[in-house]
This record gives sequence, C-alpha cells and structure tokens, in this order.
Amino acid sequence: MDMINVKNLKKSFGSLKVLKDINFDVKKGDIIAAIGPSGSGKSTMLRSLINLEKADYGDIIIEGKYLCKKGIYAKEKDAKQICSKMGMVFQHFNLFPHMNIRKNLITAPLLQKKDSKAKINELCSEMLNKVGLYDKINEMPSNLSGGQKQRVAIARALMLNPDIMLFDEPTSALDPELTQEVLNVIKDISKDNMTVIIVTHEIGFAKEIANKIMFMDNGYIIDFGNPHEILDNNKNERIKSFIEKVM
Amino acid sequence: MDLISWITQMVDGSFITIKLFFIVILFSLPLGLCITFFYTSKNIIIRKITGAYILIMRGTPLLLQLFFVFFGLPYIPFIGKYLTFDRFPAGAIAFIFNYAAYYAEIFRGGLLSIDKGQYEAAKVLGLSKWQTTYKIILPQMFRVSLPAISNEVIILVKDTALVTAIGLTDLLQVTKTIVNRTSNIVPFIVAAVFYLIMSYILTLIFKKLEEIFAF
Repeated sequence: MDMINVKNLKKSFGSLKVLKDINFDVKKGDIIAAIGPSGSGKSTMLRSLINLEKADYGDIIIEGKYLCKKGIYAKEKDAKQICSKMGMVFQHFNLFPHMNIRKNLITAPLLQKKDSKAKINELCSEMLNKVGLYDKINEMPSNLSGGQKQRVAIARALMLNPDIMLFDEPTSALDPELTQEVLNVIKDISKDNMTVIIVTHEIGFAKEIANKIMFMDNGYIIDFGNPHEILDNNKNERIKSFIEKVM
Repeated sequence: MDLISWITQMVDGSFITIKLFFIVILFSLPLGLCITFFYTSKNIIIRKITGAYILIMRGTPLLLQLFFVFFGLPYIPFIGKYLTFDRFPAGAIAFIFNYAAYYAEIFRGGLLSIDKGQYEAAKVLGLSKWQTTYKIILPQMFRVSLPAISNEVIILVKDTALVTAIGLTDLLQVTKTIVNRTSNIVPFIVAAVFYLIMSYILTLIFKKLEEIFAF
C-alpha cells in the first residue's frame, strides 16, 4: 500500500493558480525532497497533505484513506484521524512560547491521552535525547537558538509517533551555521524507516538523503524520480538552470 | 467633628471604594473576554451587535452611563420599576459594562498579536479547537494583554470616585463632606494618598504578574 497518493490536485488563492495538476505517489520509507523556485507551489502542496490548505479539486489519499476526494473533504473528525498519521515541522518552528520545552512536547500526547503521564514523560526525555537537547528540557523556547528550536519542533512532532513526517523549509529561517545541526537530525530520522517529504532549498542535502526528488515549477511537478537523473546532467533546461543557480 | 469620627468615616468610604473596585474587576474581566469572543465570531450579526456595544460604551461618558443606570432606567415605561437599583449596584453595573468593553478591545489586540503558526502547530498536533483556545491561545493572549490591562485597572481605581456623583458614600464623597464640615484640607490629602497607595500596589502586582508569565 502507498503511504500517500495525490491525484489531479488543484488549488488557487483567488485568481492565482498555485497548484495546477499535481499527481504523485509516496511509498513507505520514501524520502522525498521537493525542490524548485519560490512560488512554485511546494509549500502549498505539502500543506495540503496535512489539511492546512484546502485543495479546490483532486484526491488526497493518506495510507489508503481519502482525506479529499475530487475536492470534497472528509468530515472534520475523520480528517483529523487521517492526518494524525503525519507530523509536520514548519519553517518558523511554531513552538509554543509560553510553555517550556517539556510542556511543548507532552501537551499534545497528554491531551489526546496517548499514554499514561509517566510514559509520555519518558518518551519526552527519549525524544529530546534523540535531538540532543535533553539538557534544555526545562528551558523556555525564547532561550534557545533557532537550530535548537527547530530540533525541539522535530522532537515534538515525533512524540505522536507519526508514520510520515512533513518538513516545510525547515532550515530556511536559520543561519547557515545552525542549518547543519537540523539537517543531521532529519538525516537520523530518515534512517528510522520513516516516510519523509521535505521541501527544501538545500540541494546538496536533498541529494544526500532523498531517494526521490520532486521538482516543481509554476504549479506543476516537472520531474519526479531518482536524484541522480534529476540533479546531474538534466536535459530539461528549466531544471538545469535552476540547479546551476542554487548549487 | 472629631478626628476619630472622620477617620472611621474615611475608612468606611475606602471600603466601599475597594469593594466596588474588586466587584468590577471580578465581573468585567470575564465579561470582556466573552465580548472578545463575540466580536471575533464568524456570525456577522453577533459581530455587528458587539461592535455597536463597544462603540456605545467607549463613545459616551462613563458619568452619563452612571446617571443612565441610576437615574434613567427607572423611567423606562413598563419595565422601569424592575430596573431600579440602589446606589452601589447601579454604580457597579455601569462600571462593569463600561470596563468590559475596554477589556474586550485589549484582549482582541492580544488575540491579533498571536501568529497563525500557533494555530497551525496546534492543528497538526491534533489539538481540538477548544484545546487550542485554552491551552495555546488564551495564555498567550493574557500575557500580551497584561500591560494594557494593568493600565486600565489603575484607571479604574481612580474612576471609582465618579460614583460620588450618584451619591454613593465612597471615599471621595466622604472626604468631600468632611472637608465641607471641618474647613480643613487634610482629608483631601489623605484621600489622595489612599488612591496613590492603591495604584502603587496594583502597579507592583502587575509587574510581578508580567514577570511570572514572561516568555
């Protein structure tokens, strides 16, 4: 079974057509890097998968269940259930500034009664260790660097044990020297039999971890497949010029 | 009029001022929060009605509102006799409805300051609308609103003196009477010091609250 199927996805903001006809499938364990120029629809595509944007038309199927069928969405309760298989990490971290790091991690699982409080706290320590920030457990987000905040955001998403992780430009708001620590964490996660879609401008990183590259431009997927074929000696002029510019 | 008697009268007057202050705070803050929710509601009719309420409360003198409740309401045909209040409840009602409008606007400002990323993060973490509101949004809204709320609360301490105009024996009313009888300026100074101390204590409390809820 595929983890995600997207068919004929279309989306406009007013008169601006952001997604024109998006089709792709994601297999279990795929690490997909979505690249392409700004405004090509990468982020909107990703946000549609987890119901942060409503598509106008098309199918979105998550682990065999329709989140959206021909533009008609599942009921709110079902949509929530379907999306609970996915975790998401944002460009601007979106940590809860009024909670310390521990509370940031445990609040959602506690509210959803995922497990006993002791188990959730245990998992919290484990996840913070995983991203190398256990010593920050009682800090407030404002005392962390951007890279640390993003690692906490990743740990927070992992607390809910998702099958699929979505990253929306996770390093775009970071200083270049903080980027690597976040990329290392994402690299670790991608080895854990996790399915990952990452929207990124880090082509080198995409090439290193992804087994598939999705190149988007102007609301379409121009190319989707093997990183070597897409990134090295691509015949398509649009892709070639983009890669030459960013590499 | 001897010293002991005017001191006890001023203490009694202070108690009325303090009582009015606390009752108004106790009711107007939650009412203000409700009004904020109405004002940000998806229903346009509720939004319009709330907007009109806020416009009236902020756009007319508080003194007029006090007179309206205490002297005016009883004259309304048919239902007026059910709307006749004693001085203290009349004062409290006018203050509560007036201050709630200001608090509502302050809270709304707090809500506007919250990044939409907070709502999105809560959503992808599977929080319900209600959980998002009370775990994520309200605590941040209160924190952002604190300095403005503090300002408004200190204004309230001094505004309570307006009830003198409807004859309630609050601190200012008592003080004025004593000054008239004794031809002595000291009671005014004592009253001023009392208002000053109350404002100062509130300033300290809000400073502490801002520290506690800092993030």
